[in-house]
Amino acid sequence: MDLLQFARGPTLTWAFAIFAFGMTWRLVGILLLKRRPDYSEPRNATSWPGAIKLIISRSWPHREFIQRTAFGQTLGYIFHIGLVIVVFGFAPHILVFKGLTGLDWPNLPNAIIYASGAITLGALIVVLGRRLIHPVLRLLSNFDDYFSWFVTFAPVATGMLAVAHLGARYETLLAIHILSVALLLVWFPFGKLMHAALVFVSRGSTGALFERKGASI
Amino acid sequence: MNEPDTLGASLARTGISRRSFLKFCTAMASLMALPPSAAYAMADALNRAQRQSVIWLSFQECTGCVESLTRSFDPTLEQLIFEMISLDYQETLQAASGEAAESAREQAMKASYGKYLLIVDGSIPTKDGGVYSTVAGVSNHDLLVEAARGAAAIVAVGTCSSFGGIPHANPNPTGAVSVADLIRDKPIMNVPGCPPIPSVIAGVLAYFVTYGKLPELDHLGRPKVFFADTIHDRCYRRPFYEQGKFAKTFDDEGARNGWCLYELGCKGPTTYNACATIKWNGGVSFPIESGHGCLGCSEPDFWDKGSFYKPLAVPLADNTPTITAAALGGAAVGTVAAVISRTHQTHIGEEK
Amino acid sequence: MSTADIDSMHPLELNQPRFSVKNPEPRYDKQGDMPDAQRVETAMRYFVKDFGAVAATYMESCIHCGMCAEACHFYVASGNPKYTPIWKLEPFKQAYKREAGPFAAIYRALNLKKKVTTQQLEEWQELLYDSCTMCGRCTLICPMGIDIAALVGLARHGMNQAGLVPHELWAVAERAKREGSPLGATPKVFKERCEWLADDNEVEIFVDKAQADVVAAMSSIEIMKYPDSIVATAKILNHLGLNWTFRSDGYEATNFGMLSGNSAWQNEMSMKLIDATIAAGAKLLILPECGHAYGAMRWQGANIYGKPLPFRVLHISEFLAENTKNGALKTKPLAKTLTFHDPCQVSRRGGAIEAPREVIDGLGAELIEMQDTKGLNWCCGGGGGVVTIHRADPIRYQAFQIKMKQIDDTGAELLVSSCSNCRQTFDDGQDHFHWDKTMLSLLELVADNLEDK
Repeated sequence: MDLLQFARGPTLTWAFAIFAFGMTWRLVGILLLKRRPDYSEPRNATSWPGAIKLIISRSWPHREFIQRTAFGQTLGYIFHIGLVIVVFGFAPHILVFKGLTGLDWPNLPNAIIYASGAITLGALIVVLGRRLIHPVLRLLSNFDDYFSWFVTFAPVATGMLAVAHLGARYETLLAIHILSVALLLVWFPFGKLMHAALVFVSRGSTGALFERKGASI
Repeated sequence: MNEPDTLGASLARTGISRRSFLKFCTAMASLMALPPSAAYAMADALNRAQRQSVIWLSFQECTGCVESLTRSFDPTLEQLIFEMISLDYQETLQAASGEAAESAREQAMKASYGKYLLIVDGSIPTKDGGVYSTVAGVSNHDLLVEAARGAAAIVAVGTCSSFGGIPHANPNPTGAVSVADLIRDKPIMNVPGCPPIPSVIAGVLAYFVTYGKLPELDHLGRPKVFFADTIHDRCYRRPFYEQGKFAKTFDDEGARNGWCLYELGCKGPTTYNACATIKWNGGVSFPIESGHGCLGCSEPDFWDKGSFYKPLAVPLADNTPTITAAALGGAAVGTVAAVISRTHQTHIGEEK
Repeated sequence: MSTADIDSMHPLELNQPRFSVKNPEPRYDKQGDMPDAQRVETAMRYFVKDFGAVAATYMESCIHCGMCAEACHFYVASGNPKYTPIWKLEPFKQAYKREAGPFAAIYRALNLKKKVTTQQLEEWQELLYDSCTMCGRCTLICPMGIDIAALVGLARHGMNQAGLVPHELWAVAERAKREGSPLGATPKVFKERCEWLADDNEVEIFVDKAQADVVAAMSSIEIMKYPDSIVATAKILNHLGLNWTFRSDGYEATNFGMLSGNSAWQNEMSMKLIDATIAAGAKLLILPECGHAYGAMRWQGANIYGKPLPFRVLHISEFLAENTKNGALKTKPLAKTLTFHDPCQVSRRGGAIEAPREVIDGLGAELIEMQDTKGLNWCCGGGGGVVTIHRADPIRYQAFQIKMKQIDDTGAELLVSSCSNCRQTFDDGQDHFHWDKTMLSLLELVADNLEDK
């Protein structure tokens, strides 16, 4: 079995399994904790519209906060959108999703993928630099922050190297790229990458609670 | 067939003109990206050459490699090759059979000991003492070991002798192995392909006859001149790959428009061979051009790397049952964790 | 605990304008004589005890983006990263992950999160109390929607159980539990005040009616420092012809149990008000001009009671708004420009954002909104107990400058708000900076401008 077979075969099987296992473990383990009933008289009869409102509106800061947060917020969007384009727009990636879920959708031309990948890498480097320099971020940051950055950066970087045939034979580069994705999958449920799922739960909870009170969303 | 004789003399006898001969040498040199002067060096060497003795042993094979070699649309080219060498043993092509054929082989091996080129096609079974393929009661394994002793070099033609090929595929009931798995003390060149391209075989033989050594080989023992690039890197459909235009099913609009076959399982990106440049049937076409993805037949274990129709990007296993089971397992563990946490919380006040 | 047990190293000065501690230099206050290791363990256990699915979600969701700092007046004014709101929760996040999270067993087995130390908690005392008003601005900026302010409230439970509350805050809370008021406004004092205020102002002030439709609560800050609020309340309720009363068995709206993090005291303090209102058979409880009192009763009261309250709860500004809109309350036009400071707990956290504006509209005054207003306004910096803690004065004054600038920039003649803790903070800030603006009470403004019947 060569490295590529190993990556595409048992490595991905284990990675998917650990990903699924960890995701449900963490989500169920949180969602089944105590919930207290709220007997206070609601200001608004239904709360769920607030959940939707906050999920959507919190995607961009309130006007009053923009001046102090625009740079970091924009940087974050650049690499998130870049990742979306690369992960969901590149034809070989879509084939993976098709194999797993049966869903298919039109792909983007490779040139757009390569450009997005490059921009994403650039943005991620700036993000890392900012995290290392900004006093608040230096105080807050721990292993999770840096490792999550790494497992996000590596697949994009190794993917770009693979399509560029840079550094080793193509089949080796492809194998390394797949292994880096496996690492991302394995880490996903256990670190802050989980925010991809939790964002809906967290924003939704606050939105519903605050809508009930009429508090600012 | 047994007396060494110069190639030049042999060609003259056959009526091959000097001009045709030089044309052949020039073509071979250019095919292998050798400098123009190499054509003359080749012509000179070949002219004076003792016809190279070649012993061709066929083991666990389908004879496709030999068929490929003879399926030439340019008989002059192949005939020239057969005039360059003294093919002292080849089961399919030789006239003799039985004891006569075997004794001819032994005589040739003795006469050219240390100088003959050993060509092997087919894998070598090793299980159960190698009984699964024998010639005149002698196992392929023993035949190979004996013939290798006197060989100047060994050329493993076809994926079976290069890497084990089809017999080597799961579950490999005969214990099939490649030549390189058994012989460690001789130079071995692998010319894989299932089968290899005719002119690839011809080219490397001409090189050996000209220079007396094997050409530069890659990490898998394949001549770099033909196996350095992947099909993908030389494929004429590459622009469609880059534009993101793929055939989704056979005979859909994309297929009929000649779009990239990546999504139909083409293994071009990880397959090293000359199909995209030299092509087949005298340069007429190659699998992709005919609308079917590359099978990766010149790579080791190409039968065990998942379906020919599963794209390279897609994981080999069907992971859906595993993922489902894992998700349920995780939910169960998460429930247990939550219950433990809740119980712990309830008892905190009481613990004091 | 009696006052005799109060830390003798930090004796209280009971007669200062703001209840304070002698020489409040940097210190780590402790109550009781638990050994340090036990303090930590207790803090963690009581933090974990109150955890639910929502709090757990929040603890799991932080992505360390640092945006919460940009919303916090303490960070923005000082530039000191230690004031980053989510950083306040750090020891408790650690505890949650070790003790209550879904991967708790793994965290413990591999020691991935260290056990919290006493030293950490001591350092965190300042972050959780001195520099947090639980104003909720951070909650509004967090891209993950984490309610950091609420988590700080939860963390205070743990700190309180471990005896790690800043001294003055603990002392006022203890006094409130013991005497019924954090500032000495005991039932006796309250009744006496009502008597002389009624006399002085020729206003009927009803106390301890056996039955009434409306029960009004007051805050000790008003009772002791801004007693005109009592008069204003009485005037308005009388003007509306309502059957109302104060109850000496339940009048204190502030809840220093909640602010210090003592759940038992919080419950007790809330139940007094609830029981008194029920005893009077009232259908409406009016909360005074106080911020945290609103959150404590309007949103947490029923849950302390264990079922829906059998009466409505309104902040005084909501009550005034209702009666302005239905025309029952008419005021003489106030020809002034004014700006309104939204009390965080009433407005952003409580949802009563439009009510004061409806009242101001009824007053006929021209409202000039601050640049950051309504639910997005800046906190005065003194809520949540911060104004009680003297060692927090420097950082509070720094933060107050943001507020002063916001107000000055409006160019309004008057500054109005509806929270007496904000009022205390504004008065102290005005004094410290020799500022030219005095905060006026919305309630008093209405009472002073009532149209004669």
